[in-house]
Amino acid sequence: MDLSAKIIYKPPNTETNPTLEDPTPDYMNLLGMIFSMCGLMLKLKWCAWIAVYCSFISFANSRSSEDTKQMMSSFMLSISAVVMSYLQNPQPMSPPW
Amino acid sequence: MRHLVFLLPALLLLLALPDTRGRYNDDFDDGEDIAEFDDNDFAEFEDVSEDPAVDVEKEPPPRAAPSSTPIEDDEDEATVENEDSQDEFEDADAQDQDMYSKYDNEEFEGYEKTNSPFKDTLIYREVPAHLQNSWESYYMEILMVTGLLAYIMNYIIGKNKNSRLAQAWFNSHRELLESNFALVGDDGTSKEGTSTGKLNQENEHIYNLWCSGRVCCEGMLIQLKFLKRQDLLNVLARMMRPVCDQVQVKVTLNDEDMDTFVFAVGSRKAMARLQKELQDLSEFCGDKPKSGAKYGIPESLAILSEMGEVTDGVMDNKMVHYLTTHADKIESIHFSDQFSGPKVMQEEGQPLKLPETKKTLLFTFNVPGMGNTSPKDMDSLLPLMNMVIYSIDKLKKLRLNREGKQKADRNRARVEENFLKHTHAQRQEAAQTRREEKKRAEKERIMNEEDPDRQRRLEEAAQRREQKKMEKKQMKMKQIKVKAM
Repeated sequence: MDLSAKIIYKPPNTETNPTLEDPTPDYMNLLGMIFSMCGLMLKLKWCAWIAVYCSFISFANSRSSEDTKQMMSSFMLSISAVVMSYLQNPQPMSPPW
Repeated sequence: MRHLVFLLPALLLLLALPDTRGRYNDDFDDGEDIAEFDDNDFAEFEDVSEDPAVDVEKEPPPRAAPSSTPIEDDEDEATVENEDSQDEFEDADAQDQDMYSKYDNEEFEGYEKTNSPFKDTLIYREVPAHLQNSWESYYMEILMVTGLLAYIMNYIIGKNKNSRLAQAWFNSHRELLESNFALVGDDGTSKEGTSTGKLNQENEHIYNLWCSGRVCCEGMLIQLKFLKRQDLLNVLARMMRPVCDQVQVKVTLNDEDMDTFVFAVGSRKAMARLQKELQDLSEFCGDKPKSGAKYGIPESLAILSEMGEVTDGVMDNKMVHYLTTHADKIESIHFSDQFSGPKVMQEEGQPLKLPETKKTLLFTFNVPGMGNTSPKDMDSLLPLMNMVIYSIDKLKKLRLNREGKQKADRNRARVEENFLKHTHAQRQEAAQTRREEKKRAEKERIMNEEDPDRQRRLEEAAQRREQKKMEKKQMKMKQIKVKAM
């Protein structure tokens, strides 16, 4: 094998194909924020808990290159929603059935 | 008057006496003592009960006293009954009931005896759950936290498994890659191409490897697309619909390394899907995928080709052997000189020129195990990598004959023409807007010109240009008319 060919340095890893990227982390982030706000404004405990789950899922699916600040802020918002809901109303959550 | 003054306190005293007597009745357990006070006026307020059971119980004082005496005045049967009824009820509730039953029926007007409701009207107020000293009422919260912990555990386990699989793949393929490529592993951060010698982690489930420095190709990008084992939701979804890990290899070639043709082979499902999705396959390989049985490969594989000559050229013995042996692991193999990715959605005024194409070889392999992969399975992908290397070398040598080349060129010209037709209107519009922009810019320049002489001169020049253009157009129209005639 003749290996004395030219070496290309740059890997085309900087592909800007938005169509090929997985949209899950972005959707989950958005959902998490919406549920956090609902939980805070409407004082719904289950909303706050779902927001926590959404932010966890978003974190699990996120890319390495993604900003951790965004992740952390969404996470903190959901935790604060849970805490505020329980401070306002310490009663335990009642199941829907 | 004085008599009245003395009478008033006496009356008051007399009225107050029953109350005091009622209160003192607590101390008197002995029925005889109570009998001493048996005054007809106060008879009804006395506690006449001689039953020790009743006496032992604690009674609400003011009411207990008057309840017993009226019945005592009645016959003995009544007292016996009373005692019986008192035997039945041995708690405080019963006392109330008992007390009410001892009332003289004639004493109260409009009073209806109702025995049962007293028990029902007692409402037990529940202590709010958060004030109780028990964690049991918070079972929903405990469930939620348990779910979160399970998710975190799954994340750690899934991440580690993917990492181990990736490492196992790289260890088994490292030798082959390093012998074929000068540069193995580059994350693109450094300006010069330095071999990092390790995978580049894009995600918790996607690993990249860039190899370069070989004849016949610009470079090779290998993507290990594992399942999202770190996401519990995905794990649960996969229980319904099993999917497998995939290894995608994308080899980009130099212009001189490949002749002009489009070819694809793979599983039937994959071929049908790619034909719809990919730009080049839909344009150049319009026919339905053909069965591979004709060329000696298993029925499960289908072929999409621009022309028969290409298929004959690609499907040599060694290739057939590779495909037959590893048919279960091959999802798709795609050779194309017109590769531009998936079909771009046509938006308003966007694709005014053909998308950029690159000579590419694309391989998609399925890792055996259908999700339950172990690091040992990665070794079974090594022959497929050999096939990739072989294909690169083969395509360098594969050349179409004259007819094939002509057909290929015709195809490409046809596709370009179609594209231009479709975008004709849009291009015209774009050209029009460009011309208008130019005119406006020119006018603005003239207006902004402060010197009136220069302004005049520029205006004249613009007018002359306009006239020339009009004349040219007229000439063209005349020529067309003459030709038509």
